[in-house]
Amino acid sequence: MSGRARRILFLAQIALCVLLVAAVLIPVFLSSMPWPLSARDYLQANGLAESGASNLVSAIYLGYRAFDTLGETIVLLVAISGTIAIIAHGGAVLAQGYGLPSGTASEPARHLPPKTRTELLEVVTGKLGPVVLVFGVYVMMYGHLSPGGGFQGGVVIASGIVFLALGSRVDASNSLTSPENLVRIESAAFALLLLAASSGIISGSGFFGNPLAGAGLTPVAFIITLNAIIGLKVGAGLGFMCIAMLGRGK
Amino acid sequence: MHSHVGQGEVVLERILILLLFLIGFAGIVGMRNIIKKIFGLTIINSAVVLLFIVEGSRIGNSAPIIDAEIGLVVDPVPQALMLTAIVIGVCVTALALALAFRLYKAYGSFDIDEIHRQVHRES
Repeated sequence: MSGRARRILFLAQIALCVLLVAAVLIPVFLSSMPWPLSARDYLQANGLAESGASNLVSAIYLGYRAFDTLGETIVLLVAISGTIAIIAHGGAVLAQGYGLPSGTASEPARHLPPKTRTELLEVVTGKLGPVVLVFGVYVMMYGHLSPGGGFQGGVVIASGIVFLALGSRVDASNSLTSPENLVRIESAAFALLLLAASSGIISGSGFFGNPLAGAGLTPVAFIITLNAIIGLKVGAGLGFMCIAMLGRGK
Repeated sequence: MHSHVGQGEVVLERILILLLFLIGFAGIVGMRNIIKKIFGLTIINSAVVLLFIVEGSRIGNSAPIIDAEIGLVVDPVPQALMLTAIVIGVCVTALALALAFRLYKAYGSFDIDEIHRQVHRES
Protein backbone atom coordinates (compact mmCIF):
# COMPACT_ATOMS: atom_id res chain seq x y z
CA MET A 1 0.00 0.00 0.00
CA SER A 2 1.39 3.35 -0.98
CA GLY A 3 2.00 6.10 1.54
CA ARG A 4 -0.79 8.26 0.14
CA ALA A 5 -3.39 5.50 0.36
CA ARG A 6 -2.35 4.76 3.91
CA ARG A 7 -2.69 8.45 4.76
CA ILE A 8 -6.22 8.55 3.34
CA LEU A 9 -7.14 5.39 5.20
CA PHE A 10 -5.82 6.91 8.41
CA LEU A 11 -7.89 10.06 7.92
CA ALA A 12 -10.96 7.97 7.15
CA GLN A 13 -10.46 6.04 10.39
CA ILE A 14 -10.26 9.28 12.36
CA ALA A 15 -13.39 10.59 10.64
CA LEU A 16 -15.26 7.38 11.44
CA CYS A 17 -14.14 7.59 15.08
CA VAL A 18 -15.26 11.20 15.41
CA LEU A 19 -18.59 10.48 13.72
CA LEU A 20 -19.29 7.60 16.09
CA VAL A 21 -18.53 9.73 19.13
CA ALA A 22 -20.74 12.47 17.70
CA ALA A 23 -23.55 9.95 17.24
CA VAL A 24 -23.25 9.02 20.90
CA LEU A 25 -23.06 12.61 22.12
CA ILE A 26 -25.67 14.34 19.95
CA PRO A 27 -28.63 13.05 22.02
CA VAL A 28 -26.89 14.31 25.15
CA PHE A 29 -26.22 17.75 23.71
CA LEU A 30 -29.54 18.26 21.96
CA SER A 31 -31.89 16.98 24.63
CA SER A 32 -34.51 19.51 25.64
CA MET A 33 -34.71 18.71 29.35
CA PRO A 34 -35.61 21.85 31.30
CA TRP A 35 -32.91 22.79 33.77
CA PRO A 36 -34.09 21.99 37.33
CA LEU A 37 -34.74 25.12 39.35
CA SER A 38 -35.05 23.65 42.83
CA ALA A 39 -31.35 23.76 43.79
CA ARG A 40 -30.95 27.36 42.64
CA ASP A 41 -34.12 28.49 44.36
CA TYR A 42 -33.18 26.82 47.64
CA LEU A 43 -29.63 28.20 47.58
CA GLN A 44 -30.73 31.71 46.71
CA ALA A 45 -33.23 31.69 49.56
CA ASN A 46 -31.17 29.94 52.25
CA GLY A 47 -27.51 29.78 51.16
CA LEU A 48 -26.42 33.04 52.75
CA ALA A 49 -28.14 32.33 56.05
CA GLU A 50 -26.92 28.74 56.34
CA SER A 51 -23.29 29.16 55.33
CA GLY A 52 -22.63 32.86 55.76
CA ALA A 53 -20.97 33.19 52.36
CA SER A 54 -22.72 35.44 49.89
CA ASN A 55 -20.77 33.83 47.06
CA LEU A 56 -22.96 30.76 46.58
CA VAL A 57 -20.23 28.79 44.81
CA SER A 58 -18.07 29.15 47.94
CA ALA A 59 -21.07 28.23 50.05
CA ILE A 60 -21.40 24.98 48.08
CA TYR A 61 -17.82 23.81 47.89
CA LEU A 62 -16.87 24.77 51.43
CA GLY A 63 -20.23 24.35 53.08
CA TYR A 64 -22.63 21.89 51.56
CA ARG A 65 -20.02 19.83 49.69
CA ALA A 66 -16.92 20.40 51.84
CA PHE A 67 -16.24 16.66 52.00
CA ASP A 68 -15.89 16.65 48.22
CA THR A 69 -13.38 19.50 48.47
CA LEU A 70 -11.30 17.43 50.88
CA GLY A 71 -11.21 14.63 48.29
CA GLU A 72 -10.30 17.13 45.62
CA THR A 73 -7.32 18.42 47.57
CA ILE A 74 -6.21 14.82 48.10
CA VAL A 75 -6.40 14.25 44.33
CA LEU A 76 -4.30 17.36 43.84
CA LEU A 77 -1.76 16.14 46.40
CA VAL A 78 -1.52 12.71 44.75
CA ALA A 79 -1.17 14.25 41.28
CA ILE A 80 1.62 16.53 42.45
CA SER A 81 3.46 13.69 44.20
CA GLY A 82 3.04 11.50 41.13
CA THR A 83 4.24 14.19 38.76
CA ILE A 84 7.30 14.91 40.86
CA ALA A 85 8.00 11.20 41.20
CA ILE A 86 7.75 10.63 37.44
CA ILE A 87 9.76 13.68 36.49
CA ALA A 88 12.53 13.57 39.02
CA HIS A 89 13.67 10.05 39.67
CA GLY A 90 11.28 7.60 38.16
CA GLY A 91 9.62 6.31 41.30
CA ALA A 92 12.50 6.40 43.73
CA VAL A 93 11.61 9.88 44.90
CA LEU A 94 9.91 8.98 48.15
CA ALA A 95 12.88 6.94 49.26
CA GLN A 96 15.18 9.87 48.61
CA GLY A 97 13.04 12.41 50.41
CA TYR A 98 11.90 14.07 47.18
CA GLY A 99 15.50 14.15 46.01
CA LEU A 100 15.66 17.85 46.64
CA PRO A 101 18.89 19.78 47.06
CA SER A 102 19.79 20.04 50.71
CA GLY A 103 20.36 23.73 51.28
CA THR A 104 23.18 24.17 48.77
CA ALA A 105 22.06 27.52 47.49
CA SER A 106 25.14 28.25 45.44
CA GLU A 107 24.76 25.15 43.32
CA PRO A 108 24.75 26.19 39.68
CA ALA A 109 22.22 23.53 38.75
CA ARG A 110 19.53 25.46 40.58
CA HIS A 111 19.69 28.36 38.18
CA LEU A 112 17.52 28.19 35.14
CA PRO A 113 19.22 26.98 31.99
CA PRO A 114 20.85 29.95 30.23
CA LYS A 115 18.49 29.69 27.27
CA THR A 116 15.43 30.58 29.34
CA ARG A 117 17.04 33.51 31.19
CA THR A 118 16.85 36.83 29.44
CA GLU A 119 17.07 40.36 30.79
CA LEU A 120 13.50 41.12 29.76
CA LEU A 121 12.10 38.03 31.47
CA GLU A 122 14.02 38.71 34.67
CA VAL A 123 13.00 42.35 34.93
CA VAL A 124 9.33 41.85 34.09
CA THR A 125 8.65 38.73 36.11
CA GLY A 126 10.71 39.85 39.08
CA LYS A 127 8.72 43.08 39.39
CA LEU A 128 5.37 41.50 38.60
CA GLY A 129 5.72 38.54 40.98
CA PRO A 130 4.94 40.33 44.28
CA VAL A 131 1.95 42.11 42.73
CA VAL A 132 0.55 38.81 41.50
CA LEU A 133 1.11 37.30 44.96
CA VAL A 134 -0.83 40.12 46.64
CA PHE A 135 -3.66 39.76 44.13
CA GLY A 136 -3.71 36.01 44.78
CA VAL A 137 -4.07 36.57 48.51
CA TYR A 138 -6.90 39.03 47.82
CA VAL A 139 -8.74 36.54 45.61
CA MET A 140 -8.20 33.87 48.27
CA MET A 141 -9.38 35.86 51.28
CA TYR A 142 -12.40 37.49 49.62
CA GLY A 143 -13.70 34.29 48.08
CA HIS A 144 -16.81 34.37 50.27
CA LEU A 145 -17.83 37.83 49.06
CA SER A 146 -16.66 38.13 45.49
CA PRO A 147 -15.71 35.80 42.64
CA GLY A 148 -12.76 33.78 43.82
CA GLY A 149 -11.90 31.38 46.58
CA GLY A 150 -9.20 29.02 47.72
CA PHE A 151 -8.58 27.20 44.47
CA GLN A 152 -8.65 30.28 42.26
CA GLY A 153 -6.51 32.34 44.63
CA GLY A 154 -4.13 29.41 45.03
CA VAL A 155 -3.59 29.19 41.29
CA VAL A 156 -2.87 32.95 41.14
CA ILE A 157 -0.40 32.54 44.02
CA ALA A 158 1.25 29.67 42.17
CA SER A 159 1.72 31.86 39.11
CA GLY A 160 3.21 34.55 41.35
CA ILE A 161 5.66 31.97 42.72
CA VAL A 162 6.56 30.93 39.16
CA PHE A 163 7.12 34.59 38.26
CA LEU A 164 9.44 35.03 41.24
CA ALA A 165 11.31 31.86 40.30
CA LEU A 166 11.73 33.05 36.72
CA GLY A 167 12.82 36.49 37.80
CA SER A 168 15.29 35.69 40.55
CA ARG A 169 18.90 36.32 39.60
CA VAL A 170 20.45 35.14 42.81
CA ASP A 171 18.87 31.97 43.94
CA ALA A 172 19.50 32.21 47.68
CA SER A 173 17.67 35.50 48.04
CA ASN A 174 14.38 33.87 47.30
CA SER A 175 13.38 31.37 49.91
CA LEU A 176 9.72 31.39 48.85
CA THR A 177 10.48 29.68 45.57
CA SER A 178 12.75 27.03 47.07
CA PRO A 179 11.21 23.58 46.64
CA GLU A 180 11.89 22.62 50.27
CA ASN A 181 9.81 25.47 51.62
CA LEU A 182 7.00 24.87 49.14
CA VAL A 183 6.81 21.22 50.15
CA ARG A 184 6.69 22.28 53.81
CA ILE A 185 3.89 24.77 53.15
CA GLU A 186 1.94 22.19 51.18
CA SER A 187 2.20 19.51 53.88
CA ALA A 188 1.45 21.95 56.69
CA ALA A 189 -1.60 23.27 54.85
CA PHE A 190 -2.93 19.76 54.30
CA ALA A 191 -2.46 18.94 57.98
CA LEU A 192 -4.22 22.19 58.89
CA LEU A 193 -7.08 21.34 56.56
CA LEU A 194 -7.57 17.96 58.25
CA LEU A 195 -7.35 19.65 61.64
CA ALA A 196 -9.90 22.29 60.70
CA ALA A 197 -12.19 19.65 59.28
CA SER A 198 -11.96 17.55 62.44
CA SER A 199 -12.40 20.50 64.79
CA GLY A 200 -16.14 20.34 64.24
CA ILE A 201 -16.20 16.91 65.89
CA ILE A 202 -15.06 18.35 69.21
CA SER A 203 -17.85 20.91 69.35
CA GLY A 204 -20.38 18.31 68.29
CA SER A 205 -21.24 19.55 64.83
CA GLY A 206 -19.62 16.66 63.00
CA PHE A 207 -16.82 16.26 60.46
CA PHE A 208 -16.52 19.51 58.50
CA GLY A 209 -19.12 21.02 60.77
CA ASN A 210 -18.59 24.59 61.80
CA PRO A 211 -16.92 24.53 65.25
CA LEU A 212 -17.88 28.17 65.83
CA ALA A 213 -21.56 27.58 65.24
CA GLY A 214 -22.66 28.29 68.78
CA ALA A 215 -20.00 30.84 69.73
CA GLY A 216 -21.80 33.89 68.47
CA LEU A 217 -19.42 34.40 65.56
CA THR A 218 -20.76 34.55 62.04
CA PRO A 219 -20.49 31.19 60.31
CA VAL A 220 -18.47 32.76 57.52
CA ALA A 221 -15.30 32.67 59.66
CA PHE A 222 -15.04 28.94 59.04
CA ILE A 223 -15.31 29.43 55.27
CA ILE A 224 -12.60 32.13 55.29
CA THR A 225 -10.31 29.80 57.26
CA LEU A 226 -10.87 26.93 54.85
CA ASN A 227 -10.37 29.25 51.86
CA ALA A 228 -7.04 30.46 53.23
CA ILE A 229 -5.81 26.93 53.98
CA ILE A 230 -6.86 25.59 50.59
CA GLY A 231 -5.34 28.61 48.84
CA LEU A 232 -1.99 28.04 50.58
CA LYS A 233 -2.07 24.36 49.75
CA VAL A 234 -2.98 24.79 46.09
CA GLY A 235 -0.55 27.67 45.64
CA ALA A 236 2.37 25.83 47.20
CA GLY A 237 1.55 22.56 45.43
CA LEU A 238 1.11 23.96 41.94
CA GLY A 239 4.05 26.31 42.39
CA PHE A 240 6.22 23.38 43.44
CA MET A 241 5.10 21.37 40.44
CA CYS A 242 5.79 24.23 38.01
CA ILE A 243 9.22 24.86 39.51
CA ALA A 244 10.02 21.17 39.29
CA MET A 245 8.98 21.22 35.63
CA LEU A 246 11.21 24.25 35.08
CA GLY A 247 14.08 22.05 36.13
CA ARG A 248 14.87 23.61 39.49
CA GLY A 249 13.62 20.87 41.78
CA LYS A 250 16.36 18.40 40.93
CA MET B 1 -28.39 37.65 30.11
CA HIS B 2 -29.15 34.16 28.89
CA SER B 3 -32.68 33.89 30.13
CA HIS B 4 -34.31 35.22 26.96
CA VAL B 5 -32.34 33.52 24.24
CA GLY B 6 -34.38 31.67 21.69
CA GLN B 7 -34.40 27.94 21.12
CA GLY B 8 -32.32 28.35 17.95
CA GLU B 9 -29.50 30.06 19.83
CA VAL B 10 -29.54 27.36 22.49
CA VAL B 11 -29.12 24.68 19.82
CA LEU B 12 -26.38 26.70 18.11
CA GLU B 13 -24.43 27.07 21.36
CA ARG B 14 -24.70 23.36 22.07
CA ILE B 15 -23.57 22.43 18.57
CA LEU B 16 -20.55 24.71 18.88
CA ILE B 17 -19.61 23.12 22.22
CA LEU B 18 -20.10 19.67 20.69
CA LEU B 19 -17.77 20.68 17.85
CA LEU B 20 -15.18 21.82 20.40
CA PHE B 21 -15.46 18.43 22.13
CA LEU B 22 -15.07 16.61 18.81
CA ILE B 23 -12.03 18.71 17.86
CA GLY B 24 -10.39 17.62 21.11
CA PHE B 25 -11.34 14.01 20.47
CA ALA B 26 -9.99 14.14 16.91
CA GLY B 27 -6.77 15.53 18.33
CA ILE B 28 -6.44 12.61 20.75
CA VAL B 29 -7.18 10.02 18.06
CA GLY B 30 -5.49 11.58 15.07
CA MET B 31 -2.34 13.27 16.32
CA ARG B 32 0.86 11.27 16.47
CA ASN B 33 2.62 13.71 18.78
CA ILE B 34 1.92 12.92 22.46
CA ILE B 35 1.97 16.60 23.43
CA LYS B 36 -0.76 17.31 20.90
CA LYS B 37 -2.78 14.42 22.27
CA ILE B 38 -2.56 16.06 25.71
CA PHE B 39 -3.75 19.31 24.13
CA GLY B 40 -6.75 17.39 22.83
CA LEU B 41 -7.48 16.14 26.35
CA THR B 42 -7.39 19.72 27.62
CA ILE B 43 -9.75 20.87 24.84
CA ILE B 44 -12.25 18.13 25.78
CA ASN B 45 -12.04 19.24 29.39
CA SER B 46 -12.74 22.84 28.39
CA ALA B 47 -15.72 21.78 26.27
CA VAL B 48 -17.31 19.93 29.18
CA VAL B 49 -16.73 22.87 31.54
CA LEU B 50 -18.25 25.25 28.98
CA LEU B 51 -21.29 23.02 28.53
CA PHE B 52 -22.04 22.92 32.25
CA ILE B 53 -21.50 26.65 32.80
CA VAL B 54 -23.55 27.68 29.76
CA GLU B 55 -26.41 25.32 30.57
CA GLY B 56 -26.48 26.36 34.22
CA SER B 57 -26.57 30.02 33.27
CA ARG B 58 -29.85 29.79 31.37
CA ILE B 59 -32.12 30.03 34.43
CA GLY B 60 -30.87 33.32 35.79
CA ASN B 61 -29.23 36.55 34.81
CA SER B 62 -26.73 37.53 37.49
CA ALA B 63 -23.68 35.96 39.10
CA PRO B 64 -24.42 33.61 42.02
CA ILE B 65 -23.42 36.17 44.62
CA ILE B 66 -26.15 37.32 46.97
CA ASP B 67 -26.24 41.06 47.44
CA ALA B 68 -28.85 43.78 47.69
CA GLU B 69 -30.09 43.63 44.14
CA ILE B 70 -33.15 41.58 43.46
CA GLY B 71 -32.95 39.16 40.60
CA LEU B 72 -32.58 35.52 39.77
CA VAL B 73 -29.03 34.24 40.01
CA VAL B 74 -27.65 31.54 37.73
CA ASP B 75 -27.43 28.00 39.10
CA PRO B 76 -24.32 27.82 41.32
CA VAL B 77 -24.26 24.01 41.48
CA PRO B 78 -22.70 23.41 38.03
CA GLN B 79 -20.18 26.16 38.74
CA ALA B 80 -19.07 24.44 41.95
CA LEU B 81 -18.92 21.11 40.09
CA MET B 82 -16.80 22.63 37.36
CA LEU B 83 -14.43 24.07 39.94
CA THR B 84 -13.68 20.47 40.84
CA ALA B 85 -13.45 19.47 37.18
CA ILE B 86 -10.94 22.22 36.41
CA VAL B 87 -8.68 21.17 39.29
CA ILE B 88 -8.87 17.51 38.25
CA GLY B 89 -8.16 18.60 34.66
CA VAL B 90 -5.01 20.38 35.78
CA CYS B 91 -3.92 17.26 37.68
CA VAL B 92 -4.54 15.03 34.65
CA THR B 93 -2.65 17.38 32.34
CA ALA B 94 0.30 17.59 34.71
CA LEU B 95 0.53 13.81 35.10
CA ALA B 96 0.19 13.29 31.34
CA LEU B 97 2.93 15.83 30.63
CA ALA B 98 5.19 14.17 33.18
CA LEU B 99 4.60 10.78 31.52
CA ALA B 100 5.34 12.32 28.11
CA PHE B 101 8.56 13.72 29.56
CA ARG B 102 9.59 10.26 30.78
CA LEU B 103 8.77 8.71 27.41
CA TYR B 104 10.84 11.36 25.67
CA LYS B 105 13.77 10.67 27.97
CA ALA B 106 13.45 6.94 27.39
CA TYR B 107 12.92 6.90 23.62
CA GLY B 108 14.02 10.33 22.41
CA SER B 109 10.79 11.11 20.63
CA PHE B 110 7.26 12.38 21.18
CA ASP B 111 6.02 10.49 18.12
CA ILE B 112 3.75 7.64 19.24
CA ASP B 113 4.64 5.50 16.19
CA GLU B 114 8.35 5.91 16.81
CA ILE B 115 7.91 4.93 20.47
CA HIS B 116 5.80 1.94 19.42
CA ARG B 117 8.52 0.84 16.98
CA GLN B 118 11.23 1.10 19.59
CA VAL B 119 9.19 -0.79 22.18
CA HIS B 120 8.66 -3.58 19.64
CA ARG B 121 12.33 -3.68 18.78
CA GLU B 122 13.20 -4.08 22.45
CA SER B 123 10.78 -6.90 23.07
